Amino acid sequence: MKRERHEHNNHIENEEENNNNDIISDLPDSVLLHILSFLKTKDAVKTCILSTRWKNLWKHLSILTLYSSHFKTLRDFFKFVSRILFLRDDSTAIHTLDLHRRGIIEPHLLKKIIKYAVSHNVQQLEIDVGCDIQHFPTCLFSCQTLTSLHLYVRHRISGQRTLFPNSLNLPSLTNLSLDSFAFPIENDGRANPFSAMKRLNNLIIDDCIVLDAQKLCISSDRLTDLTIQTTFERCFCEIELSTPSLCTFDFIGIPYQKLRGSHLSSIKQVNFDANIMENPTKPPSVLLSWLLELTGIKSLRVTSTTLQVLSLVPNLLKVEFPSLCNLKSLKVKRKEISYELSKSLLDANFAKLPTGASYTDVVKLWETFSEGSSSIPDGIVDFLLQNSPSAEVDIIN
Amino acid sequence: MAAEKSSIKIITLIAADGSVFEVEPNIVKEMKTVQSYIDELDQNTVSIPLPNVFGNDLAMIIEYCKKHASEEETKEAKEEFDFEFVKRMKSDDKLRLLQAASYLNMESFLQFMAKAIAAEIENQSVEFVRDYFQIESDFTPEEEAELRKENEWAFK
Repeated sequence: MKRERHEHNNHIENEEENNNNDIISDLPDSVLLHILSFLKTKDAVKTCILSTRWKNLWKHLSILTLYSSHFKTLRDFFKFVSRILFLRDDSTAIHTLDLHRRGIIEPHLLKKIIKYAVSHNVQQLEIDVGCDIQHFPTCLFSCQTLTSLHLYVRHRISGQRTLFPNSLNLPSLTNLSLDSFAFPIENDGRANPFSAMKRLNNLIIDDCIVLDAQKLCISSDRLTDLTIQTTFERCFCEIELSTPSLCTFDFIGIPYQKLRGSHLSSIKQVNFDANIMENPTKPPSVLLSWLLELTGIKSLRVTSTTLQVLSLVPNLLKVEFPSLCNLKSLKVKRKEISYELSKSLLDANFAKLPTGASYTDVVKLWETFSEGSSSIPDGIVDFLLQNSPSAEVDIIN
Repeated sequence: MAAEKSSIKIITLIAADGSVFEVEPNIVKEMKTVQSYIDELDQNTVSIPLPNVFGNDLAMIIEYCKKHASEEETKEAKEEFDFEFVKRMKSDDKLRLLQAASYLNMESFLQFMAKAIAAEIENQSVEFVRDYFQIESDFTPEEEAELRKENEWAFK
């Protein structure tokens, strides 16, 4: 369907001759499609009435961005999606499809979209919809071409999580990002949801749980980047890593789980943004135990609040700390103390005040640990650097 | 061939207006059109005419390539540079640079300019886009009305 165009090798002269300023329409289809790819698909389709040159261009888009929020009514959105799938050029593969419908999506429409994407060799899928996981066609979970998948299936009941499908066969998948899933446990009492994804490089687990708060096992030979984000304590009781290539570990949330694994020293870069619950059920020594386990860290990035959580460990500065020997860089990003953390910090530090402390001491303590402060606990940076005094330190405001 | 190619130390690019730019080979790595010239020649210095690119535009493209080829610059510094780079451009600068990127066959710079242009036409009316690109419609009013009707599902 590519339109025949004259090659304008001496375009500048032409411009002078006929004063044609429409340089855009002389560019090849592939260039114009690049521009359309960065638009939401709704805007891309609208370019069909610019001129004949643009009339059928959108039909060759390989990146589709379908958001229900771009439409006035749900009916308009559903109709739009159906028309797109019906009218677009069938021989053009789908490279990327983003589908966002935060409320409930009609099961038959979801099936139609996914089946279309899979049959058009989709490589990257981003899906954020409200529905039951059973409404996804099974072809998604055995898609041979899929390299990147972001999946957020909103449960009908708020606060509930969708059960993660058991049998996944995604041989090309390198990037996986999951939001609000519950991982089922296997016969050995552990969840091990990723072992069949042989090429996985990058894994993001956001606000997921393991059923019965059991162990989460992540086994993957090629995994290099892992991000875990939690919003409460008992999402799983232990993280067991069997990931010999893992290099970067990001954790955002409440450190509660034991961290175990046979290759933890492969982790070179660690980013922590820790918080605690209002009435923590465990002493805050988990974070310290992680730092003791992760012996290979070269680059450590933490928020100031992470250091505050760490400072809650009783007599921290006197604890034997043989870790962080290979540290080259420590970055501390200032972050405001949350209400929950402030409460624990104030309780702990008021308890330490000697009897007869002056009013100024009390005010100072209050200012340091109240909600919204982004202070860094005294002595903690030196504590972390005790085995690598030459590491570079950066405080980021 | 590889050894001969690496012996090239300076590449001279000559823009449409005759202005001359001397750059190191790693700067033009992304310009496939320039690379194909270099592959054909095997001299120590190479002089390449680029009759479809004006000097001002070429200067900007080289500035971009220098920043992105640098190994010393952090990812954040490059992002900051990209942001400022787009900010100081007018609409027709962007279109000319896109045209130049297409002619020079530069994949990532082309993506970058396409994205910058898309940001300007996002959420805008067809009339705005037509004006922005200086496209003269070759549809009769009747044809356009018909097309709008046919595709009304995209205009809601």
